[in-house]
Amino acid sequence: MGQHFSLSAASLLLASGYPGARSVLEPAGEEAQQIAVLFWVMLSGGAVIWLGVVGLLLHSALFNRRRLAEKSASSIILWGGVVFPSVTLCALLAYALWLMPGLRPFAQASSAALRIEVTGRQFWWEVVYRPSQRPPVASANEIRLPVGERVELSLKSADVIHSFWIPPLGGKMDMIPGRTNRLSLMATKPGIFRGPCTEYCGTSHALMAFSAVAMEPEAFRSWLAAQAIPAEGAGASGGALFLRHGCGSCHFVAGTDARGLIGPDLSHLGSRVTVGAGILPNTEDAVARFIARPDLIKPGSRMPAFDMLPPDDIRAIAAWLRGLQ
Amino acid sequence: MHISWKKLAIALAILPFVVVLAAWIGFFNVGASSGHWKITEWFLHFAMRSAVRTYALAVDVPEALPRHAIQPAAGHFARGCAICHGAPGEPRSPVVMRMLPQPPDLAGTVGEWSDAELFRIVKHGVRFTGMPAWPTQERDDEVWAMVAFLRELPSMDEAIYRDLAYGERLAPPAGAAGALRQALADCARCHGADGLGRGPAIPVLAGQSEAYLLESLRAYAEGARASGLMTMPATEAKPQFWPDLAKHFAALPTMHPGVGGDPALVRRGREIAEKGVKDAGVPACLGCHGRHDRSPLYPSIAGQPERYIEAQLGLFRAGKRGGTRFGHLMANAAKGLTDDDVRALAAYFSLSAAPSATGTR
Repeated sequence: MGQHFSLSAASLLLASGYPGARSVLEPAGEEAQQIAVLFWVMLSGGAVIWLGVVGLLLHSALFNRRRLAEKSASSIILWGGVVFPSVTLCALLAYALWLMPGLRPFAQASSAALRIEVTGRQFWWEVVYRPSQRPPVASANEIRLPVGERVELSLKSADVIHSFWIPPLGGKMDMIPGRTNRLSLMATKPGIFRGPCTEYCGTSHALMAFSAVAMEPEAFRSWLAAQAIPAEGAGASGGALFLRHGCGSCHFVAGTDARGLIGPDLSHLGSRVTVGAGILPNTEDAVARFIARPDLIKPGSRMPAFDMLPPDDIRAIAAWLRGLQ
Repeated sequence: MHISWKKLAIALAILPFVVVLAAWIGFFNVGASSGHWKITEWFLHFAMRSAVRTYALAVDVPEALPRHAIQPAAGHFARGCAICHGAPGEPRSPVVMRMLPQPPDLAGTVGEWSDAELFRIVKHGVRFTGMPAWPTQERDDEVWAMVAFLRELPSMDEAIYRDLAYGERLAPPAGAAGALRQALADCARCHGADGLGRGPAIPVLAGQSEAYLLESLRAYAEGARASGLMTMPATEAKPQFWPDLAKHFAALPTMHPGVGGDPALVRRGREIAEKGVKDAGVPACLGCHGRHDRSPLYPSIAGQPERYIEAQLGLFRAGKRGGTRFGHLMANAAKGLTDDDVRALAAYFSLSAAPSATGTR
């Protein structure tokens, strides 16, 4: 039953069309662009060689069946079997190696204006923006980055190995407990992308994703500034129920008494593209369903079910959370 | 005489039918009046003692018996055990003396058993004797409290026993109000007429949220929250009185917390209570228990006895406490606590001041 429900939740999202690209072949970032070019170069090179080999095979089988002299046969083997593959493979290897500094630009990363710390947890993502010379901004399950600016990601894990990948932007990079891996990304086009966890991490691995939003730099800066202060609706009445039922023991909501640290930061939940770590559309109904039965929507989730609360309370809390823009 | 294997096999095949026939005729006397044959009595006791001794080998004995918890055990003894085994100032009745086997006067016989053997007998009972098992198999802590009480029993005089088991008895007036008074007096035997609890193993009910008390009483009575000690009084109090009982204790003035304790331990407890333990998945206790405007179904823990808090957190961690619609929240929260965390939390909460009464719903 639980399995069935969560699968249907995921397929619902797939069917409804996730609001974002997810293919490496539609690059929107510098790193992904290079990988895409590498892919196309490799693919076309491979295709040309394949056609050449098949053509030669057909030629000798159908049109030119005479025996070759030993000397010319040897020279064909030497040039076609040793020299050509060696030169071609070396060239492709040199090209791939030449790309590597661009794909792992550690040197440039240290000068990045924005550092984003992402910690994988079963089964969600803790996100902290660390802009230079400004206080950090906490969020969860969504990563926003400015187009045309290099961003350094510090990738960590609090429990098991997760892996970070935004196919149209770049990656992937494992998140390993006890160490910090660094990844540098630069988005080149605005857009919304999906980042799935790409290392099996437990029961709800397939239900652990995040939204990546590449924004124009100006829009990004005003968005980050808005995230740094409490949402407008934070003091409203629905919040009283949130606190009354103890949600603040686990969740942090800026501008309220909710100071919990073990669950996702909900300070601006209403402004996110998805809820439940990339698995549900951000609607009041989805938020309410998650509050009532997180164990069905995301098996193995640490959040206990709250379906014993009066339905009106759940709805009011969901509406309030949706209002935290 | 020569008996062939074939004849022996036939005789063995017929034997069960002969036994069933004899039982069906009813020749065997099951009356208790005549007692067992000497050899039967010897054999039954021999088998019983051997079995208790052998099964007690697997019992995990605590370093020290929970002597702090003998008061509720005494209350339970008076209610469930004294009728057969007698108690200081309460000899066994002539009716009980004609049971077969005759239940022993425990004051004289507990010395023959080790702690592990007493635990085994109290928890599991003894077949064919009328000795019942503990009402739940989930609460070894309660069984050990009973063993601790039994150890004290031989040297206990009547006055001390009566005080432990009954406290100051309130005289029940007649009528419906009398039945409520009787139920209240039953609660007071352990929880005290002032609701402050008669010992470090008993929770303070005074000033506790009414809705929480009612839910807990229901959980005990319905068996959803396992407890040998609470099941009996909870089922004896009629459901129609539950709301009145809850209201009565909720309205009593709560006690001011004590001072002292190990400062480092209290500080650590306070830190967990305020912030939780992030990487162990432990939420901040005060987010639910520390707010004035909290749900009335979330109890006040501030000012509860240290040993009580420790025991309850242990039960939550073991998945043995709950039974209400909200119990799973705590089971989830307590999972990540270590033994040291539990001690620190118990020290902190036992010394912190209770937030004022909550609203009702």
